[in-house]
Amino acid sequence: MASEGLSYDGCNFFRQRLVLSTLSGKRVKIKNIRSKEDDPGLRGTVLFYQPGLLYGGSVEHECNPQRSIGYYLEALLMLGAFMKTPLKATLRGVTNDRTDPTVDLLKSTALPLMKKFGIDGEGFELKVVKRGMAPGGGGEVVFTCPVRRTIRPIQLTDPGKIKRIRGVAYSARVSPQMANRIVDSARGILNQFLPDIYIYTDHMKGANSGKSPGFGLTLVAETLNGCFLSAEMTSTPQGQGDPVLPEDLGRNCAKLLLEEVHRGGCVDSTNQSLALLLMTLGQQDVSKVLLGPLSPYTIEFLRHIRDFFQIMFKIEVQKPLEDERKGGDKVLLTGVGVGYSNINKTLK
Amino acid sequence: MDGKVRKPKQHQQKHSGPQAEKKKLKKHGASTETDERKRNPKAFAVQSAVRMAKTFHRAQDIKAKKHHIPLVDRTPLEPPPIVVVVVGPPKVGKSTLVRCLIKNFTRQKLGEISGPVTIVSGKKRRLTFMECNNDINTMIDLAKVADLVLMLIDASFGFEMETFEFLNICQVHGFPRIMGVLTHLDSFKNNKTLRKTKKNLKHRFWTEVYQGAKLFYLSGMVYGEYQTQEVKNLGRFISVMKFRPLVWQTSHPYVLVDRMEDLTDPEKVRIDPKCDRTASLYGYLRGTHLKNKGQIHIPGVGDFQVKDVNFLPDPCPLPDAQKKRALNEKEHAVYIDLPASHVNQLQAEMQPTTELVQSLIDTHATLDAKMAASKVSLFSGSATLDPTDISEQSGEQALWDPKTQRERRKVLFAEEMKDDDEEDDEDEEEESEGGDEGESSGEDDLSEEEDNEEDCLSAFLKKSRGDSVKASGPPVKKSKVEAESERPVFADSEDELEMSEHEKEEEDEDEEGRTPCFILFVSTGALKWKENLQLKASQAFLRQQESAPNLRKLVYGSVVEVEDDEDEEELGGLFRVSRPQNNKRFQANDLDSSHFHPDTTHNWDLEEMLNSIRDCFVTGKWEEGQDAATLLKEDEELYGDFEDLETGEVQKGQKSEADSDDDGDNEVEQSEVKMDEEESRKNKRLEKKRRLKERFNAEYDDGDATYFDDLKEELQKQAELNRAEFEDVDDETRVQYEGFRPGMYVRLEISSLPCEFVTSFDPHYPIILGGLGSSEGNVGYLQMRLKKHRWHDRILKTRDPLILSLGWRRFQTIPLYHIEDHNGRHRLLKYTPLHMHCGASIWGPITPQGTGFLALQSLTGIKPNFRIAATGVVLDLDKSVTVVKKLKLIGYPYKIFKNTSFIKGMFNTVLEVAKFEGASVRTVSGIRGQIKKALSTPPGAYRATFEDRLLMSDIVFLRSWFPVAVPQLYNPVTSLLLPIGQKDSWSGMRTLGQLKHDLGIRYKPNSDSLYKPITRAPRRFNKLHIPKELQKALPFKNKPKQQQPKGKTSRDLQRPSVIREPHERKVSKALLQALSTVHNYNRKKTHMVQHSKHKEFLKEKGKQEDAKLKRQKEARKKLYRVMGQMDQKKQRSSLKGQPK
Repeated sequence: MASEGLSYDGCNFFRQRLVLSTLSGKRVKIKNIRSKEDDPGLRGTVLFYQPGLLYGGSVEHECNPQRSIGYYLEALLMLGAFMKTPLKATLRGVTNDRTDPTVDLLKSTALPLMKKFGIDGEGFELKVVKRGMAPGGGGEVVFTCPVRRTIRPIQLTDPGKIKRIRGVAYSARVSPQMANRIVDSARGILNQFLPDIYIYTDHMKGANSGKSPGFGLTLVAETLNGCFLSAEMTSTPQGQGDPVLPEDLGRNCAKLLLEEVHRGGCVDSTNQSLALLLMTLGQQDVSKVLLGPLSPYTIEFLRHIRDFFQIMFKIEVQKPLEDERKGGDKVLLTGVGVGYSNINKTLK
Repeated sequence: MDGKVRKPKQHQQKHSGPQAEKKKLKKHGASTETDERKRNPKAFAVQSAVRMAKTFHRAQDIKAKKHHIPLVDRTPLEPPPIVVVVVGPPKVGKSTLVRCLIKNFTRQKLGEISGPVTIVSGKKRRLTFMECNNDINTMIDLAKVADLVLMLIDASFGFEMETFEFLNICQVHGFPRIMGVLTHLDSFKNNKTLRKTKKNLKHRFWTEVYQGAKLFYLSGMVYGEYQTQEVKNLGRFISVMKFRPLVWQTSHPYVLVDRMEDLTDPEKVRIDPKCDRTASLYGYLRGTHLKNKGQIHIPGVGDFQVKDVNFLPDPCPLPDAQKKRALNEKEHAVYIDLPASHVNQLQAEMQPTTELVQSLIDTHATLDAKMAASKVSLFSGSATLDPTDISEQSGEQALWDPKTQRERRKVLFAEEMKDDDEEDDEDEEEESEGGDEGESSGEDDLSEEEDNEEDCLSAFLKKSRGDSVKASGPPVKKSKVEAESERPVFADSEDELEMSEHEKEEEDEDEEGRTPCFILFVSTGALKWKENLQLKASQAFLRQQESAPNLRKLVYGSVVEVEDDEDEEELGGLFRVSRPQNNKRFQANDLDSSHFHPDTTHNWDLEEMLNSIRDCFVTGKWEEGQDAATLLKEDEELYGDFEDLETGEVQKGQKSEADSDDDGDNEVEQSEVKMDEEESRKNKRLEKKRRLKERFNAEYDDGDATYFDDLKEELQKQAELNRAEFEDVDDETRVQYEGFRPGMYVRLEISSLPCEFVTSFDPHYPIILGGLGSSEGNVGYLQMRLKKHRWHDRILKTRDPLILSLGWRRFQTIPLYHIEDHNGRHRLLKYTPLHMHCGASIWGPITPQGTGFLALQSLTGIKPNFRIAATGVVLDLDKSVTVVKKLKLIGYPYKIFKNTSFIKGMFNTVLEVAKFEGASVRTVSGIRGQIKKALSTPPGAYRATFEDRLLMSDIVFLRSWFPVAVPQLYNPVTSLLLPIGQKDSWSGMRTLGQLKHDLGIRYKPNSDSLYKPITRAPRRFNKLHIPKELQKALPFKNKPKQQQPKGKTSRDLQRPSVIREPHERKVSKALLQALSTVHNYNRKKTHMVQHSKHKEFLKEKGKQEDAKLKRQKEARKKLYRVMGQMDQKKQRSSLKGQPK
């Protein structure tokens, strides 16, 4: 056929390219993958991807413990709603680590975000069955997602004020006291702003606690308009780097949340690209979303969207007013959907 | 008459008399309906609750039926022209109708029309007329882009197959508006037959379209045109018609091409005449937004990547939104595409033409310019028209020379093109020749073409209509008519020239569009426009850069390579993110993570940092309008005064108290202050009222509003947002955000077009650029639901190639038909069922589910029967459904133990058997069994157990299902690439039947399958042997009887026969005779007596009967007399008067 594929260099933004290629039906070729390094990590340095159709159904995958499940899950969240049959993915591996958004974070932020686009219903769920900390893994996550034919446009321009902060302090294969220590320190900082703070402690024992010890905290701030801002922090993996005190971790995580609040917007920095993708895949209507400063990942994602879907977003910077104390500059992104319809879904 | 104008008699109202009284009564008791109800309540009482429920139910059903799923209204503010397709069999009056309609709207007469014509029909509406020829390819393509179909029907002949075929095509590809137009009504001499025919046709049309579909009657021709009033009415109908968006059209961008320009390097063409071409295609964008560099499909040509898209100023703009009731004459602009352009010429423009040409000769102009020049020459050629020249120039006939590289010169220079020297020679020649000759030749060619066409048509007509063809209608397509008709054009266009008051560039472009002379400027115009575009784009971009501080540039890169550091600093936190972008190479192999690591600058231990986000929390400061205090206050105002019913205590709103206090205090104060207060209070009151009302409305509506209403409102809001969002953005930027929006006039540049597209370009055939959605450019397996069309006379065979029209595409493919069994298995069918849906699997272009398609067996030839073989819908887009066919493996027992047998001949190796271990087998006689294990010898033999002992004569079979692969044939129909005049003769892969027929191969049947006379050997049954023991136990009834045949009777048992003596014989005979005589005599005698007695009796009886009758008669007579007397009495008394 006449459609020409796209070509990229380097291994970065690998998931974006594959996801967009799959959704747009365009072939993609990635060259020079770590070509200068001694250990490129693959068998070769070039990858060619010809997208097919997304089947869905029951999938099980043993994720590589080098990256956490969040890495896989992020791509899966983007594709989940466009399968032929509802997806039920069981992912095994590392549930929480420092490089990728943890499953707890995605559960509490990405899912409510997707609900705003009309991806909801009974089968929409992310469940942490077992927890597995960084080097060893051994965690298990079940992600189920219903299938949608079309995506609703959204208008998220006003995040509203933060009404409550929730969180999960988890610990596995360490003293259950760790979690309580994290909670105390985090509350110490956040209580300056809000009384409605509740941080659950989640201590996994026995078979559900994975292979490695570790602990961490995920904080989510919910606004009046149903937007979620989040921050998280995980202890350093066993045997890699200096150990972290739970108090420090709690405090730092709370500060990270403040940072996230400072950035603001209706979607937190981790899920920016997800929101933009779903806006792109919407009907041919205008969608608007207010974001904090765009992360480099998101910026690259915007470029990729332009490559794959020929869609550009109108980007407007909203500076805070003089007397407003609402953090930094915000970015309002406006775009028109491509009118994507799920071609995988069967018509009965 | 004495100068005084006599007034018509005025109506005098009656003031008395029954009429006036009636009226008065009516006026007083205005509501007669309610009166009736009051007067006669019984008649309106509930008679039956069931019936009432039924009527209510029905009313609700009807109401609900009217609901459509609400759609977001995405029509742009300036919609593209409405595509009006004029369809009908040949010789039905299509061209005449188009001409008449154009004349009706624009007061301009056009001659030969060979392509889409766009006109302005009203303040907010433009129309594009397109005539559809009798090629099924064209019919399919145009049905996909039509908004309105004018379906011409020859009333003198009735419906033809083409009409029904087109209707079915429309049904499959979304139903555009269809309006029937009956022509040739003047051929009816008898008024009654006319009426009858009209009615019949109307009702048939209704069943096909919908009940009450509009059918127009064009009663007759006047000087080769339809009657003005009728055309005017039709035009009015068209210009007020409303359209419902069609799914495929609203979800795909498409362009009905107006103009085509070949941009290929002429040198390249000279070296290799068959090289791929680059062309730019022009037209209004319709449907939805078109993305640049997207993929398109040109039906009849193939899939292409758009190299570039630009939007151009509208050649046929809508008149400005002035407060005018009607358009004046000038505003009815006509835009005729390139194909038709040679008909419209402008004498006044001759001078610049030649200048331009000369300049072109001097300079080595670009191809674009050359192209334009060639067009110019075309114009100059056709500028003046002299009908007398027609006969002279019959030599230039090579109109559609396939070797010609440019179709546009077809009219004039086909022969000149033979010498390879390109434009220069041509131009010179043309100059020297002057206008007249060129024109005439052009005209001549046209007429020639027409003649040919007519010939073809008539030939076709003969075929399709049989003997009933009549030479109908006056000769419309005569060049003379055209010649006359072309005059008014330039008067109008000159007006346009005068009118234009924009800057010079725009003027040029404007003229291009509005007046038929537009192409004249293309050479310069196009170049200029290109320059402008770049300039404009860059300017716009700079502007954009300035306004949106560099974030846009940061993300999407920029044309302008200006790095300003100030911006970065300006944005602070936002801009740090751009850094990695600058050294992209470094970034390429980074870690792929969506985490956004915070910069360390923010120290969250500082109070001021904390303060900077304090308002993000509900505990922070609220905005003016949303402050809790203000909200409370408002609430209080609303519900300030209330009485606590439980305590009986009256709560007074604070405000009112204050008010009363104020009142007391302020009495003495100045009036000014009071006025102020009054004002504010009034405002407050109003505000309060408004709020109350709002609240009430909200509550009230909540109770009543249905889901449907909510949805509608939501979509309405979305539509408003869509319209408003990019309204104030300039077009260059806007195009980047939303793509090119429908209604824009766009130019698409497409490279690598096959050369035949250009060389055998025929403007009569529509060129459609259909945009493809994401992944619609790919090919894959499709599952479809298909039904053979009930009017198609043959069923379809699996693996026979079929031509499908699906989405934008027409292609040939090989379908496999299958049907789903009750257990979900998809079983292959050899043929489609007669009256049922079945599944079809094909290898074809990925098209969204729910898209309809139609199938044809061939595109060529004129067949009397219905050509649409099947219709259906796409269900699924992968090969998850495995089509299977039944496979019976046969084996024979070679050794039989009790219930175990050794079977051979089913498999060839041990491995094969191993695969089928445990499979169930069966004999023909119905004994079931199971495969157990393979045997070592002979290879492929196995041991199987059965539920009963087999016989050596049994045949064992294993029923299995074998997956069938769908053949991967996807062969796009490239009908537009065929030479001119043969475009309807595309033929692809032949069916097996056709192939055999063509090659003269006869089917050689398996000799085993032939029927032979049945010879059955007589069956011998063995004696039934019942054991003695059993015999004993049986009841006598069932015991075998000793059934020996009877032997011979012995001699002693045989009785002797009696033989009489002659004397004995004599005596016995005489005696017997005497006795019988006596007996006979006696019998006769008694009979006689009896007979006479009976006679007597009858006589007596007759007498009695007579007497009885007589008596009865007497009695009756008496009775009647009495009755008559009574009657008389009665009558007499009635005459006297009413009896009391």
